[in-house]
Amino acid sequence: MIQLFHVSKYYDRRPALSDINLLIEKGEFVLLMGPSGAGKTTLLKLLFGTERPDDGQILVQNRNVARLKASAIPYLRRTMGIVFQDFRLLPKKTVFDNVALPLMVQGTSTFEIRRKVTEALKAVGVDHKKDQRPATLSAGEQQRVCIARAIVNSPIILLADEPTGNLDPHLSSEIIELFKVINARGTTIMVATHNPQVMAQANRRVLRLDQGKLVAE
Amino acid sequence: MKRIAYLVKESMTNIRLNRTTTLVAVASTAFTLACFGVFLLLYLNLRGVVSSLQDDIKIVVYLHDGLSAQGLSDLQQRLKGEREVATLSYVSKEQALADFREQFPSEYHLLQGLGENPLPASFVVTLAPRFRSSEAVRQWAKRLTNMAGVAQVQYSRDWIENLATVIGFIELGAIAVGSILSAASVTIIASTIRLTLLARRDEIEILRLVGATGAFIKVPYLLEGAVLGAVGGLLSLAILRGGFDLFKLQLGPTGRFLGVESWLNFFPGHVSLLIIGAGLALGFTGSLVSLIQFGRASA
Repeated sequence: MIQLFHVSKYYDRRPALSDINLLIEKGEFVLLMGPSGAGKTTLLKLLFGTERPDDGQILVQNRNVARLKASAIPYLRRTMGIVFQDFRLLPKKTVFDNVALPLMVQGTSTFEIRRKVTEALKAVGVDHKKDQRPATLSAGEQQRVCIARAIVNSPIILLADEPTGNLDPHLSSEIIELFKVINARGTTIMVATHNPQVMAQANRRVLRLDQGKLVAE
Repeated sequence: MKRIAYLVKESMTNIRLNRTTTLVAVASTAFTLACFGVFLLLYLNLRGVVSSLQDDIKIVVYLHDGLSAQGLSDLQQRLKGEREVATLSYVSKEQALADFREQFPSEYHLLQGLGENPLPASFVVTLAPRFRSSEAVRQWAKRLTNMAGVAQVQYSRDWIENLATVIGFIELGAIAVGSILSAASVTIIASTIRLTLLARRDEIEILRLVGATGAFIKVPYLLEGAVLGAVGGLLSLAILRGGFDLFKLQLGPTGRFLGVESWLNFFPGHVSLLIIGAGLALGFTGSLVSLIQFGRASA
């Protein structure tokens, strides 16, 4: 599903990632652990096509992301979902419209949008808030909306960058359980975190990054 | 269809959320096009006046006094065969004298003193529309002077050429002013769109992350620019129409301009549409410039 071959990325000649090799199978739930600045976000950005590697090759669903044309990147992203620490919801749109965004950009019909958004909101337990604006929701609810947006188009891969970073332990626990449910449906999940509680609760394969190097599994 | 509705809705939301900058952009486009429109109105009206004056251009072909009846007939046939000639009329010596007496009764006694009629016979030619330019008139008059029986060719070349020069200057002025103001308008609209883009940077980033193509992200901003430009064009037409009517109203009662106000016309329908189209194009270009700069900055 995801393969990295000798991948390196530099910012101002400083290595953010050095010679990373890894393989993630379809349907796996992988935790990417490491302190701040270890290169977790950079690795997710490379997988998502917002950054390009300086060396090495990245295969995502048998497509070489490193060599993908800029015009093909949006279509790669439509097969993935992404969850952010800071939720990145549009404040002027309702919960429903925020979650509908990935479907809207693909030109999905109104009927299908309504069906899929309702389904995604139910799956994360915030369907009763669909007409509210994000600012009126709690942090946990906002993160659930963000997850609903990430899963609404049934992605093959879900990437999450510190998804519990802004949440208290109880809410963090709820979010991890939600990821487990999504993973059980067959979605490959990669969660970047520095939170040991997440690691303990998820109890899945762990990749450790330190100063841009993959130091242990 | 859903996607188009979304894009249109987004561009309308942009306009609503940025009322002040939208107003500035519309006003600047309207001002730009109004300034250009003043030149265009002047140019089109002067051209209209010249065109109607050119309809009256007559070339007088004076004939040698000793020209035989056969020579006269040959020359008449030859002139009729010329493609430059629209109408041809013969003025005999006697007719010329009668005309002189009618036009200058107080000077007539001067001719009487000469004994015989000194005025030559002539052909008066009006030109076909295609040959009314000053250059065409000059070329043809030159050719006429070499024809047998022709003593002299006379036409009012100076004022034709002067008017052509004045129109040329106005045309140049319109192009220069139009270019400078268009550049200013594109810059102002580009700044307006840039402000919108900056205000919605996060939203654009999110759209990118959920798989929106470049076109999907750009279209609402291009639409916004085009709408602002077209509204500016429409407003400029309203300003020009108001100014034009006021100008005509001021001219009318004074009677100082020898009825010239009856020759003045506002833009015909297709030119009005062209002005709105120019506004639309300016707005679209402004948005495009801004999107290209924004794309480079956020790449």
